[in-house]
Amino acid sequence: MSKTYDTSELSKHVPNPPVNNLSIEEKAEMEFGSLSSDKYLASAQHDPSIEIRTQVLDEPPYYVVISTYLNYLTLIIIGHIRDFFGMTFMPQYYSAMVAKNGYPPWYSAFESFYPRRLKRRLDDCFARPIYGVPGRYINCFNRASTDYNESFYYDGTATPCLNLSSYNYLGFAQSVGKCTDDSIDAVYKYGVSSCGPRNVIGTTDLHVKTEKILSKFLGKEDSIIFSMGWGTNAHLFTSMVNSKCLVISDSLNHASIRFGIRLSGAAVKVFPHNDMEALEKILRNSISQGQSKTHRPWKKIFICVEGLYSMEGTYVNLPKIVELKEKYNCYLFVDEAHSIGALGKSGKGICEYYNVDPNKIDILMGTLTKSFGAAGGYISANKNICDRLRLDITVNNYGESIPPAVLQQISTSMRIISGELNDNEGELRLQRIAFNSRYLRLGLKRLGFIVYGADDSPVIPLLIYNPAKMPRFSQLLLERGIAVVIVGYPATDIISSRIRFCMSAALTKEDIDLILAACADVGDRLNLKFSTGIAGGERNPGDWKKGIKPRWSIEEVIEKTPEDCRHEVY
Amino acid sequence: MPTSLIDNKESSNFLVGLAYKANDIWYDLVEILMQLPGGELIINYIKASHKNDPWRTLLEALLALFAIKYFLASRYSQDDKDNMVLSKKETDELIEDWVPEPVVVDLREDEKWQIETNPIINGAVSKRVDIQQGDLISTNVLNFASLDFLGMSTDKKVVENSVECIREVGVGACGPPNFYGTQSVHVRCREDLAMFLGAEDCIMYGQDFATPISVLPCFLKRGDIVIVDGGAYVGLQKAAMISRCNIEWFNHNDLDDLESILENLSKDLEQGPLNRRFIVTEGLSENFGDSPDLKRLVEIKNKYKFRLILDESNSIGTLGDNGRGLPEVYNIPRSEIEITIGSMARSFGSSGGFCAGDKDMIYHQILTSNAYVFSAALPPYCAVAVSTIIKAIIDEEVEGKVNPHIRPLKENSAYLHSLFNNSKELSKYVTVKSDSYSPSLHLRIDADLREALDLPDVYGGPGSAVTKALKNGNEELFFDQYYNLESFKLQTIINKCVEAKVLPTRTKRILHHEVLPIVPELILHINATHTKQDLDYAYSVVSKAIIDTLEHWRKTGN
Repeated sequence: MSKTYDTSELSKHVPNPPVNNLSIEEKAEMEFGSLSSDKYLASAQHDPSIEIRTQVLDEPPYYVVISTYLNYLTLIIIGHIRDFFGMTFMPQYYSAMVAKNGYPPWYSAFESFYPRRLKRRLDDCFARPIYGVPGRYINCFNRASTDYNESFYYDGTATPCLNLSSYNYLGFAQSVGKCTDDSIDAVYKYGVSSCGPRNVIGTTDLHVKTEKILSKFLGKEDSIIFSMGWGTNAHLFTSMVNSKCLVISDSLNHASIRFGIRLSGAAVKVFPHNDMEALEKILRNSISQGQSKTHRPWKKIFICVEGLYSMEGTYVNLPKIVELKEKYNCYLFVDEAHSIGALGKSGKGICEYYNVDPNKIDILMGTLTKSFGAAGGYISANKNICDRLRLDITVNNYGESIPPAVLQQISTSMRIISGELNDNEGELRLQRIAFNSRYLRLGLKRLGFIVYGADDSPVIPLLIYNPAKMPRFSQLLLERGIAVVIVGYPATDIISSRIRFCMSAALTKEDIDLILAACADVGDRLNLKFSTGIAGGERNPGDWKKGIKPRWSIEEVIEKTPEDCRHEVY
Repeated sequence: MPTSLIDNKESSNFLVGLAYKANDIWYDLVEILMQLPGGELIINYIKASHKNDPWRTLLEALLALFAIKYFLASRYSQDDKDNMVLSKKETDELIEDWVPEPVVVDLREDEKWQIETNPIINGAVSKRVDIQQGDLISTNVLNFASLDFLGMSTDKKVVENSVECIREVGVGACGPPNFYGTQSVHVRCREDLAMFLGAEDCIMYGQDFATPISVLPCFLKRGDIVIVDGGAYVGLQKAAMISRCNIEWFNHNDLDDLESILENLSKDLEQGPLNRRFIVTEGLSENFGDSPDLKRLVEIKNKYKFRLILDESNSIGTLGDNGRGLPEVYNIPRSEIEITIGSMARSFGSSGGFCAGDKDMIYHQILTSNAYVFSAALPPYCAVAVSTIIKAIIDEEVEGKVNPHIRPLKENSAYLHSLFNNSKELSKYVTVKSDSYSPSLHLRIDADLREALDLPDVYGGPGSAVTKALKNGNEELFFDQYYNLESFKLQTIINKCVEAKVLPTRTKRILHHEVLPIVPELILHINATHTKQDLDYAYSVVSKAIIDTLEHWRKTGN
């Protein structure tokens, strides 16, 4: 950042996409790589003979933890010093935070401290503008900042990067193929918009048809589709629970669930992530004690969990939760935002992965952004519940309904996954993502990184810890042509900043070789290989007890892992 | 501890023993501490401080204990101060006894018509639609229910550009805007919106209804003050409530009432801390179809140093010479309206919502707005559709003239309102609530007729049965018989119209979600694509259906 740039040729304006002269075949290959060998396939399905354990968390050495805290402490102290002097001597730069002409500030210095003083430093890794399909490659506009990320200069060029950042699990983000053709037909037939709320005018035959396909896919009686995943959760709970109901929520549940519960006014209790004993204790306690103060029985108790946790890559222990739910007679809400389409032999999500009957779950919710290359969210439940919710959910009466092209993308991609269209293309996509996820995760573990999450989960978080290493990792990978997402506080614990790789079926084994090589190199440069081997990656089982840490060479990893990852379970 | 105190009181031997014991432990502790590196320093510090101020020792010891307790306390400990002590057996029995209420209350038999009468459209939603409504199938029906006021969603250019975008980018954005979900077309759309509205910057959301509920909490926290229009639609009501700030309501569009509230508040506000203060209202009311006097509103908010949040979901694209909303009508610069919230799923014929205003305000949302940070970006082709429509409007803009894209809508609105307003016969049955510039025509059952039909003046609102049921969590009691009946009668009118090839709609509000009192209404959404003949025909059909149904109801009582 200290480099000086010649800015005369540059613009602060995000450029339009440059002209590219790729043929259709080249374009298709950029969006979805072709499979190089049948060996590179696997299946994401839980083996019932293996007991479900809570995940083993590897821990970094103490000096890393201490230096991470010191990192933050330094940043906070420097930030406050800069704020103090800045607001005293240069108030013109702080206009939104100081009262002016009797108007209160837009937001307080305290409220905005984190974004201004900490996140600003990483801003070049966030919201990089792109163009084109976010498929196997993503086209990131090249940009640079001369004022510490206050603003960016663009020179109009872009770099295609291997895409580990988009939610594109099954690789349906494509501009070539059946899905896109169908969606375009839908725009011609139905227009661009849905023109109003579902209950007023916004229900077309396409809505009805897609909801039927979705219900069949999920194995539930009925479903309702909404135009936004976040909005689905945010508006659902006010129609199901009230202040006399209790919601027991996993500590790592997504912000939208927490928002929805808050809006509903229901009482909330939180259990530590995936801790089934704590959940049972809360259930016993809540049912026997009833509502706080009055001790009247709760009207309803909902357990809210996610299928696949988007920041950890872990799965919910669904069989156990279903058992608890049945034992204690309460209701279960499962958010399948990340798991639907990506898990299970035929992509039917966490229920199929664990072989649990979906009808044992009262409310199945999910998003259609991630695996289907579309947008929106859904709720699936029994018909009587859906009927009530259809009338009662506020969006259906006041907000927009989901537009036709998106619906068509959902229904075509879903039919491809379930094998109704394009022969075994759907199955192949599922097997590719399962292999890709297993390969990258095990490869990273063997290289010596601390990686969270279940073996076949497509969300692969690589722990970074020190905040200063976050942007550097992202920048170094971008230099090597790989686009990744960095996540830090407040989305994670303050200490456990991470890189989140989002796997896709569009990537090939060779792409993952490249990614592993880049990570190995960058990991050495940034000193990130902290793993003890307790969570996997060791040469011989039990090595970690002897203090032997997994630090395989990149050549060895690429040679052995593709075979090993298909069955190895730690 | 001063020994004289114990001697004087002649306490029991036990106490003296205890004191000696404590003394011994203290000396042992001191000895251990002395052996530790730096221990001597600590001891000297404690000694010195105790000598100067014995109470301080006690205070510090308590502080240390509190700190230990605080760190050891579980992060997930729930509030169980007032828990009963129960044995395992008792707990099991209580668990055995507990019967939860159903997930949701099943639809009642007399409520099922609501779901059966939701129209399903076969094909595109345009001026004429083929609909299926339960058993009723009707083709080529004149559409008076669409919110795509300008009829642009099936416009040739818009469709072409959207298709081209899908060919380039695919359908979904596949990521949150902050993580590689921002396409260049999104940035273009933001710039176009900001330029069209005359705002500094703009931000886009994936759903219109999720916009206010996410924007307001960014700037309103506990202790802040918001004064909301008493006719605001449910999105704004919920947005104000989730912010947990202090809410005041002023009578719908009654600026005198607003001013008196502000006057009353101003004394308190002068003394208190400088909280954030907002007035929230709509550019064109969703529930009433009228607009506030923006000129006076701006004067008031400037006088009392409040900021204005204006929801222009309905007014953008419909009000003003070029569809720039209420400020264009009053010739007020956009900068006077601190936060503008709008929908792209209405006049802009696309999807999503947006918020416009100054740069700092928008930047804060990029980082803290829940629906923006934690949700995937708008599908790129939706952004392209909006850009295309804005470009079409701007291209035809002529200073001092009504834009040709907006003019038909304005003329149609005025014409249909005049038809309904001028009918003497109809006025015995229904009242036109909306103003003639509104593209939505709101009809309410006339007050005298309501009395004759034994209908309450309003439903819900503070103190009503529904509010009580909501407070007590009695979901069975959310149902209101009269509300259901009145809505059913309006639906009967709609059904009659549909048979005659006109599709009006009605308010489909849910009583228990509404904080404010409501009245069901029959609504006709006017479109720029309607012709004068369409409007004449719709008027004749709708007025006949109203008169038939309500006259029958008045005479026979059902």
